[in-house]
Amino acid sequence: MPETILIPPAGEVGEQSGSPAGTNPAGARPARKRPKRGHEKGRPLWMLLPGGILMLLVIVVPLIVAVLMSTLDLDQYTLQSWLQAPFIGLQNYFEAITSSSLLRSIGISVSFAVIAAVVTMPIGLAAALATQNKFRGRALIRSLFLIPYVLPAFVVGTLWRTMLQPGGVVDSTLGTLGVHPGLWLNGPLSYWSLIIVQIWTSWPFFYLLVLAGLQSVDHEVHEAAALDGATWWIKLRDVILPYLRGPIFLALIIAFLHNINAFTLPFVLFGVPAPVDVDVLPVLTYVTSFQSFRFGLSAAMAICSLILIAIPLFVYLRAVKLDSGEEEKR
Amino acid sequence: MRSRIALGAVAGLAAIGLALTGCSSSNSGSSSSGGLDGKGKTLDVMIAANALYPTEQQQWFKDVSAQFQKETGATVKFETFASANDELTKIQTSVLSGQGPDIYDLGTTFTPTAYSTGAFVKLTDDDWKKIGGRDRFVPATLGISGPDEKNEVGIPFLSRPFVMAYNKDLLKAAGIDKPADTWDGLADQAKKLTTGDVHGMAIAYADSFDPWKFVWAMSMQQGNTILDLQNKKATIDDPAVKKAYQTYFGWLTDDKIVDPAAIGWKNAQAVAAFASGKAAFLPMVSSSSQVSLDKSGVAGKYAYAVMPTIPPGETSLPSDGKAAATIISGDNMVVAKYSKNQDLAFSLVKMLTSTDNQVKYTKTFGDLPTNADAAKQIEQGNQLIAPILDAGTKAYGTPFSGAWGDTQLALVNVVVQSIPSLSSGKVSSSDLDAKLTAAQNTAQSSLNKAK
Repeated sequence: MPETILIPPAGEVGEQSGSPAGTNPAGARPARKRPKRGHEKGRPLWMLLPGGILMLLVIVVPLIVAVLMSTLDLDQYTLQSWLQAPFIGLQNYFEAITSSSLLRSIGISVSFAVIAAVVTMPIGLAAALATQNKFRGRALIRSLFLIPYVLPAFVVGTLWRTMLQPGGVVDSTLGTLGVHPGLWLNGPLSYWSLIIVQIWTSWPFFYLLVLAGLQSVDHEVHEAAALDGATWWIKLRDVILPYLRGPIFLALIIAFLHNINAFTLPFVLFGVPAPVDVDVLPVLTYVTSFQSFRFGLSAAMAICSLILIAIPLFVYLRAVKLDSGEEEKR
Repeated sequence: MRSRIALGAVAGLAAIGLALTGCSSSNSGSSSSGGLDGKGKTLDVMIAANALYPTEQQQWFKDVSAQFQKETGATVKFETFASANDELTKIQTSVLSGQGPDIYDLGTTFTPTAYSTGAFVKLTDDDWKKIGGRDRFVPATLGISGPDEKNEVGIPFLSRPFVMAYNKDLLKAAGIDKPADTWDGLADQAKKLTTGDVHGMAIAYADSFDPWKFVWAMSMQQGNTILDLQNKKATIDDPAVKKAYQTYFGWLTDDKIVDPAAIGWKNAQAVAAFASGKAAFLPMVSSSSQVSLDKSGVAGKYAYAVMPTIPPGETSLPSDGKAAATIISGDNMVVAKYSKNQDLAFSLVKMLTSTDNQVKYTKTFGDLPTNADAAKQIEQGNQLIAPILDAGTKAYGTPFSGAWGDTQLALVNVVVQSIPSLSSGKVSSSDLDAKLTAAQNTAQSSLNKAK
């Protein structure tokens, strides 16, 4: 009997929070009727025109230009009349993959993004659960939690750079404990410095999304669990977490995308040229473009990273059912 | 229905209009020019924002515009950029669209890159006359205006040579009367000066620019120009360059005359260490360091000197060596080819590089004049500045090639990737060789593409 009470209405949660809900075994959501063909005719589709044109100018045109650029031998010498720059087909892609550090950078970026996203999950979850129940000073704690997230990446980078310097606060504190880990901002440890700082600055994002998810857990469910004598762990595992599956999944994907696109933080923390262990994709693309002036090559790198980002983005779009195909099928 | 379509079309056009306004905003003052009657015209000048003197810079903008209006009738509109990246973005946009600022104020080492875009006016004899003649400038400042005298784009506007600051009190206490003129001698002096928490030298190993300037200078003094433009060959995989790196690293690992924390220092931190009296020598600073040093504990206790010009391991300059005291550092002004007010632009540059204006500029901002007369005036009775002006006359240009940007980056990269070894106390010879080979390949492939 208790089991039936403990199953959350996952579908509804997803609807309310606008997040990717889990499957809806109960089929609680009423099937949406498709409008009839006749009504489609009268729809004022022309009203989409301004937005459509803007989208064309802001997204599609630059994308096409980027693809075009990636096929040209475009550098400082050919920039002035860039359309006349020699067409070299896929050579930039070939060079990016075979003789630049692109693949290495992809490896660093992806692993860093995944680790940072996965580690922030339990931290954000714990923080959200800790501030779920009312207590004195809760508003203050909730505001304090947001500080790392609202600080600009530039400030976070400068702050941590100062702390992690050789002989800085971190080194001297660890030194008093007898720990001497070595360099934080260069060498193998720098990779972990980047992850630590990214986690420090981005966990409140998880916290926020989980907190929003928690608001949608019905009060009755808490009561029912309490009446059934569920311990906190069972309550968390079997009652709360199923509600949060949607928000957590969404937060994981968005956090991954944020991390993989992070430019300011590694740029400020390590500078350019970046130490090999933290030569992340956005920094590599930047250096190729603005220090080596190989605009064609960097466009090819950017397209490669776009494809890389498109994979989780696709998963995300499927999950939140923003792609119309899914909507139609339902 | 028809009116709806019309409304949609208007909305669409409005959107396109909105999106396109951004492209045309910087087109002011592009009306056709004739002679030097600039009445009603506006010149656009792109210049670096002065972080040290922001208020004074704003005042200077107003003064320049007022003076120019008095002289020609035209006004001057200044745009500032905060970083080299900002500047480059602006140049790219302008180069692509064929409109934008009439004059750009560029860093000297960026001049070869700007030249290679082909977007700036190559100065003819006639153009130089309009600026007041090539001979009004300190000759060394012209060394990075173009690949040769016939193909110059950059007009020297201000000079910022690199020198070495030293703590007079510390040197006196150690019985040293003046800094050595050889790198070996300087290291020996620094060893004497290293006691307790005071170190002989303050070096910014983690700076994005300083390291290549040391390596370049020491290589030049051994006769290696890093890029051999005549034979289109990079020469980084050469014993001279290796010697330069070994000396630079050796200060920390072998001589132990540098604070070990310096592997994380940027230039500002090295200046701060010197300013707090924790270092005796501070090589690779410009006259702008005066601002912070005069406010610090070493105010009145420091002086500047030309950096050694005799390479490591030598007691005199080798026959093929060049006594490079500093790179030609400072700002050059370039006039855009697309500018429709080129004559007016030259006349503004003439005004800005006049003796009076250059002296006034130096007194306000601390950067040194490129105008020879102005430099003489400034030097008189200013002991502190004299060695900096002296260094300016002993300056050599970095190779004038579009490949220099990449080469410079590769040279710094050798240091960046060596920091972990540096921290553990030794950069091995084989390790350094591998990194130099990588840098050589980068520089060579960039040079192969150079046109």
